[in-house]
Formats: sequence, structure tokens, C-alpha cells
Amino acid sequence: MYLHNSHIRKKTALYVAIILLGFTAVTIHLIYLMIGSSEYYRKEALELHQREREIKAPRGVIYDRNGIPLAANKPVCTVSVIHSQLEEPERVIRILAKQLELDEETVRKKVEKVSAREKIKNNVARNVGEKIRGYHLAGVMVDEDYRRWYPYSTLFSRVLGFTGSDNQGIVGLEVEYDSQLQGKSGNILTLTDARGVEIANAGEEREEPVAGRALYTSLDYNIQRYASQACEKTWKKKEAKSVSMVIMNPKNGEIYAMVNLPEYDLNDPFTLIGDVDTDNLTAKEKQDRLNQMWRNYCINDTYEPGSIFKIVTATAALEEKVVSVNDYFSCPGFRIVEDRRIRCHKAGGHGQETFREGIMNSCNPVFIDVGLRLGAANAYKYYRKLGLFETTGIDLPGEANSIMHKPDKIGAVELATMSFGQSFQITPMQLLRAAGAAINGGTLVTPHFGVKIVDENSGKEKKLNYPKKTGAVSPETSALMRELLEAVVAEGGGNKAYIEGYRIGGKTATSQKLPRGNGKYISAFLGFAPADDPTVMGIVLIEEPKGVYYGGTIAAPVMREMFEMILPYLGIEPQAVTKEKNK
Amino acid sequence: MERRKRRLFVRGEYFDYTLLLVVLFLVAFGLVMVYSTSSYKSILIHEYPYYWLIRQAAFALGGVVGMLIVSRMDYHIWKTWTIPLWFSMWILQVLVMAFGKEVNGSRRWLGVGSLTIQPSEVAKLSLILVMAHCIVAYLPKLRQFKFLILFFLVVAGPVIVLVGAENMSTSMILFMIAGVMIFVAVPGYKQFLSIIGAGGALVLILLKTQAYRMERIQIWRDPTSTPKGYQTLQALYAIGSGGIFGKGLGQSMQKMGFIPEAYNDMIFSVVCEELGLFGALCVITLVLILVYRCVIIAYHAPDLYGSLIVIGAMTHISVQVLMNMAVVTNTMPPTGIPLPFISYGGTSIVFLLLEIGIVLSISRQIRLSKQENL
Repeated sequence: MYLHNSHIRKKTALYVAIILLGFTAVTIHLIYLMIGSSEYYRKEALELHQREREIKAPRGVIYDRNGIPLAANKPVCTVSVIHSQLEEPERVIRILAKQLELDEETVRKKVEKVSAREKIKNNVARNVGEKIRGYHLAGVMVDEDYRRWYPYSTLFSRVLGFTGSDNQGIVGLEVEYDSQLQGKSGNILTLTDARGVEIANAGEEREEPVAGRALYTSLDYNIQRYASQACEKTWKKKEAKSVSMVIMNPKNGEIYAMVNLPEYDLNDPFTLIGDVDTDNLTAKEKQDRLNQMWRNYCINDTYEPGSIFKIVTATAALEEKVVSVNDYFSCPGFRIVEDRRIRCHKAGGHGQETFREGIMNSCNPVFIDVGLRLGAANAYKYYRKLGLFETTGIDLPGEANSIMHKPDKIGAVELATMSFGQSFQITPMQLLRAAGAAINGGTLVTPHFGVKIVDENSGKEKKLNYPKKTGAVSPETSALMRELLEAVVAEGGGNKAYIEGYRIGGKTATSQKLPRGNGKYISAFLGFAPADDPTVMGIVLIEEPKGVYYGGTIAAPVMREMFEMILPYLGIEPQAVTKEKNK
Repeated sequence: MERRKRRLFVRGEYFDYTLLLVVLFLVAFGLVMVYSTSSYKSILIHEYPYYWLIRQAAFALGGVVGMLIVSRMDYHIWKTWTIPLWFSMWILQVLVMAFGKEVNGSRRWLGVGSLTIQPSEVAKLSLILVMAHCIVAYLPKLRQFKFLILFFLVVAGPVIVLVGAENMSTSMILFMIAGVMIFVAVPGYKQFLSIIGAGGALVLILLKTQAYRMERIQIWRDPTSTPKGYQTLQALYAIGSGGIFGKGLGQSMQKMGFIPEAYNDMIFSVVCEELGLFGALCVITLVLILVYRCVIIAYHAPDLYGSLIVIGAMTHISVQVLMNMAVVTNTMPPTGIPLPFISYGGTSIVFLLLEIGIVLSISRQIRLSKQENL
């Protein structure tokens, strides 16, 4: 052995020691990476490897009472690009821009973005998607998808509302029942390689989508169409700002139709209706106008109800027995209350008249007297019983509530004006509901659209129940009110709503729009049939009509036209009655 | 020694089977890992999984045969090759610089058609053999510092500089091989401090003058700070997600294209991902056993020439393994070095095995005294 105790052994050992030190350092770093930061890197790596693919759940269909779909789903495509799989980016940009009708710069930006998957456009028609698929472009994905689709576009627009790009309800029933309609989208979690290609047999986690549940409503496609036609005729003829109509079953609160003209296109809800120059609008202005366009005047806005409110005053007065049908009043054309001279709509006055005639004439002095007899406390008692201090509970979002005087602020003038429907505000829906309770035997119903929720896969149904309050007024008073209001139509101010062979009750109103004296009116008529046992009632409001603006002249005929069409449709047969019968 | 008759093949009293087994195990393990890391890409490109495995297996088989043949040869015959080897080292390198094939931005391959070799891999073995012979020949004079420097510059200098122009990490390995061999052979420590200082200064100058090297420092400090840190970051994901026992052989996700050419320099990260800290420590242990056996053989080699060859080989393998692991774990700035025996690469594995063959042939000529038990 030549090497015993030589410096070669020592130096070799020194070198090995240094190398060992190096390996120790690497080992320590390995321990740090693989134990200390393992969780962090594992998570980061999984994020890199795992792709989540959403499986959209089809949104529940909204049906009318006869099973006609009012809001359905239309198959569309989503076109996206997987950057790492692109082979001919220029060709892809050119073809996508042309087929999707986008400008090339927009497409280029998205195509050239280094991302795992970039959505180019959604809601692409299926045939366009098929065409793009036909090019067999590497890296371009065409996924099938559903888009909310409204077969009757403008019909029901302010009731149904529409959905946003993520299939979420934005306004109307779509948002009210969003949790039921939406369903739950599923997921596929897959492992992919660096190009984003799924790895076969890697075992995917799958979470099935749950389809949204269907909503069956009380709406009736045919009645809505009739209502729409009737309103549109008047809307055009009277060049009104808007025309609204609600048709409801007073017994249970089911709403058959709700029209708010002008309606907008549910399939294109972000385009303002009419000839609007949107270029000059700021984003905020445009949004304000859109919000206005989406409003449902029947429930979102309050107004002074005017003479129709005399139904409430009369009901309260009769129930409290402060007046009887044949009490005499006199109308000189005005009434002085404290220091105020409150006019009747008939300048010369109605002269001597009974309470019954006062209603038929819609005479303000009669109701001022009755209101003063009733007193503020009693008035509010019945307002409350008839639901005027609460929202109606209708299944639509954004319902407005009444604006009333504070009880301690009610003087004689306030009481006098309130009794014929001025100096406070309620929504048309609140008015309809209160009048409904007055004529249906005293039951305060909850107006509603939703009838049942159906899981269309399992067939499971859930009936929707709504609160009903009985005893708002006595059946006797209610019967009396029906009789009085029938007289209004048969012989009084509502005679333009009369249909030969039908017993129809109703009340007209001509409300001034605030500020008072601006010459703008809302002409309205509230009617119901058959008068002895109402199964359908409705209200029509014409906002800012041009020319003649009396509710009895322009609104009552609209309701008559409506009733002429829908009473036979609803199976209400004409009765052999004569005008004289109720005299 | 002089009285022994020179023959091409020798029969010895001893043979280091431990070293042979460790090396065979590493080669086999390397083939498994090359298959694991390359099969996915192979299916994508060549539509069958064995493309890289078959190539690597062919080279490994040739290398093992070569190793077994060389291990039976008398290692002294390599002395006759010293001058041709010295010339070949840097001439091949010049040829590479002139006509080499550029792959991934580096000009490191030389060859015709599909038959290519990487001269820098050949140079490592050549340098070991040339250095060993020259040191033995000039040992007395090497005690003079000036001669030591001159010697180093003439024998090892050209190849280190020429390789360094294209491939700094291999150049550093060559420098380490030559440096350690001289350091061990020549008595005294002081004179080597200046060499270490000079080497350090050279590295610093190279770092400062070449912008892309500063970028590597940036990657090392924070791989997420620059897009070029992608590979390092992917390796870290692989290592970190391995945990203690790994995901299981073949279960790596990072090899699915996230780590580019995972069967190459970064293969150790996939070892970590699939076999965990446990697997990584096993590989390190095997390498340390290999180093240990080399030390034993070096200590007992029949002459200084043999000892120096073994020390050169040991330095080569240990430095390269350490640098590779340090790069993969981001313990040092990234640079392209294959993991000996395991990474894919024909030239590398063939010449490594020949190198081990020579070490084995030296072990075969160890003459055991009665008391000694290796």
C-alpha cells in the first residue's frame, strides 16, 4: 500500500467532507420543500392541474295557468379559445370575428391573451356554433349552453322580468323565484396536462347539475293578450304615457294578467324602447332609463287613487253604520271644510241625492260628509283592515307601500280629501286588493302569480300558499257594496263599462297627477263581474291621456272591451238581467 | 509494479461488487424514471410510449457492456492515450463551436444525422485520464507554485475555457475535477487558496459580463418574478407536491408537459414527486455509497495514477449530482446539468459507465494484504 498516512488520504477526506456538507444542504432544502411547504406546493400544483368545467343547470320554465311556457330555454353555444392549443391564431381570429360579428381587435385581444381558457362570446346561436365547429380550428371550443328565451317577447315583460348573462334573475318573477328557477350548476373537475388537455383515466370528480324547478303561474296567456290589445288601442288612441291593467280573481288573489304599456322586449331587455338617442346618454342616464323601462307601475309606483277610493270610504262608513244607503245629502257643487272650498267634479252640483246616488254620481261633497262622519280613527281602522298600511305581499320584487298622513296630523281638510281618494298615495295593486276585500265578502287576499313549483324530473309539486285574512268587512256590507257598485255601472258614472246580459260592478276615477294643477291625469276604472258573485276583477289605469281624460269616459270602455272578451272565455255566462232589477 | 507484466486484461484478487451493484441499480432506476417521465410525451409525439426509453436503454446496455469490458482491462493502458486525449478534448470542442448542432439555444452536440455525441461529456472522462497521468509524471515539480499554475493552464485550461464558452456548468465541473485532482495529489494547502480565489473571481466575472447569467440569479431568488423561472417553479411544484412518500411511481402530474423535457435535467423533481422525500433520500444515499466506494478504492489503489483516476471520477459524479440536485431544488441558480446515470442522455450514460468501468478495473488490481478487509 503506497498510500498509508499520506496527505492524499487527508485531502480526499476533506473533499468528501465538503461534498457531504453540500448534500446536507440539499437534503435540508428538500425536507423544507417536501414537508414544510408541501401543502402549499400541493395546492398550487393542483390548481395548475385541475380544470373546473361548469355544467350549467337548465333554468326552470315559467308556465301560465294552462301550461303555456312564458319563459323557456333556448339552446345556444359558448365559443371559447384554449390558448395553448391554438395552431393558426390568425385564421382563428379572422374566422371568429366574421362568424361572431365582432371586430377583429376585440377577438385578437382575447385570442392572444395567455390564459387557460378565454371566453370569446356566449349566447351564440346554435347554427353559428355548428358553423364554427365545422372549421375544425385547433384550440377553439364550442360548448352547448342554454339561454333564457321568452317566446312572447313583449307580453308579460314587466311581470316576468329577465335574466342576466349568468342565468340569474334580474327583475320580475325571474328574480322573485330565482332560487327555485335557477337550479344548481354541476361541475366536472378534471386533471389536465400542460396544454389543457384532459388526461384520460385520471378520474374526474363530477357533480351533476340540478335542473331548476318550473314555476306554474296564475297568469293566462290569452287574457294577457286580450288585455294587451285592449290597452294598446287606448294607449295609441289617447297618446297616453302608459296604460296599465291588472286582472285578478278577487276570491283568491290569483292574477290572470298584468299589463304595463309600453312593454319592452324580454329577449332584448337592454335596448330602450321608442326612438331614443342612446349615444347622448351617460351610462348612468341610460341605466336610469332602463330601470324606468323595467318598472311595473301597478306595484312599484304609488299615486293618488281618486274616486275609486270612494269604495273604501263607503265600505267603512256602511260597516260603521255612520251612513245608510238612503240617507240624503245635498251637493251645491262644492263643500267648505274649515277654510277650504273643495269642489265637486260637477260644477253646478248634484243637488239633493241619496248616498246611493252619491256613489253613482261619484259626488265629492257626499263623501266629504261621510268621511267627516266616519272620523280619522275609524277611517284608518278600515284602511288597516283593507290592507292599505301594508304592501300587498305580491310575489314581485320592489313593491312600494302607501304614503299616508300621520294619524295625529289629520285635520278636517285631510279627512275630507282622503275620503275621495286624495292627499295620500297607494299603489294600484293595494287599491285593487282593498276593493277586492270590499266586494268578495270581506276577505283580504294576497295577490299573486306563483301557483305551484314543480320539479319536472321527479314530478314533485309544491303548492304555494298565500295568507288570506277574513273579516275585513262583514258579508252584509260587502253584499251592499257589490250592489252599489253594480248600480254605478248599470246607471251611474261607470255606465260605459256596461255589457248587455252581464252583471258588472265598478267605479271610475280621474286622479290628478301631482303636483296638482299640472293638467296631467290618471284615468282609471275598477270593475268586477259577475256583480253578485265576483270571480274576476280588474283595474285599468291610463296615465296622461290626451284630450278627454275622464275615467268614466275613457277607462270604463277599456274594461268593458276586456270583459266582453274574457267573461265568455272564463266561462261566465250572460245572465238574463235588466237594468231595472237593481233599482 | 514494474515487475508485473503488462497485459491488456488482468485478473485481480479483488473486485468492488458493491460499486458495480450501486451503479447498475442507478442505471436501472434511471431507465424506470426516464420511462415514467417520457412516456406521456412519447405517446403524444411518437404515438407509442417507449421512444425515449428504448434509446436510453440501448445506450445504457452499450455502456454496461463497455463498462464490464473496461473493468477487466489494465488501467495503465490509458497512459498511452494521454496525448491524443488531450488534443481530442479541445479539438472536439472547437468543432462543436464551429459545426455543432444547436438544441434549446445551446451548441453542445456534434454528429451526423441521428448519431450525435456531446463532446463536453466525453471531455470529463478524458480530462480525468489526462490529469491523472500528467500529475503522476510531473508530481515533484508541481510543488512549485508557478509550475502548478502553468501546468493547470496547459493541461486543463483549454478545455475548461472552450467548454465554458457554451456551457458554464460543465466547465465548472471540469474545473472541479482538475482542481480536486491536483489539490489531492500535491501536498500543502496554501497555494490552493489562491486557485480557489482565482476560480471564484472568474465565476464572478462571467456572471457580471453575461446578462443572462444575472437573470438566473433573479430566478434563483424568486422563480415567480420572471417568466424564465417557469421551469424552476414547475420543478418546485413537483418536489413540494411529492410530500414524504410521493404520489407513487408513474403518478407524477408535473411530467404531463408542465416540466418541459422532464426526462432531462429536471428528472430529479419527478423522482421527488413520485417517490417523495423517501425516494429522494434513497437516491442521495446510493450516490453517497458510490462516493464511499470510490474513496475506498482510491485509498487502496495500487498506485497514485489509479488513485487519481478514482478521485477524478468521484469528484465528477459527486459534483455533478450535487449541482443537479441543487439546481432542481433551487438551492442554487438554474443551469443545465443532467443527473448522472438517471437523466436521459446517450453520451452522458455511456461515458459515465466507461468511467465506472475504469474505476472498477482499478479496484480489480487492488492487492489485499492479509489484515485488510474492504
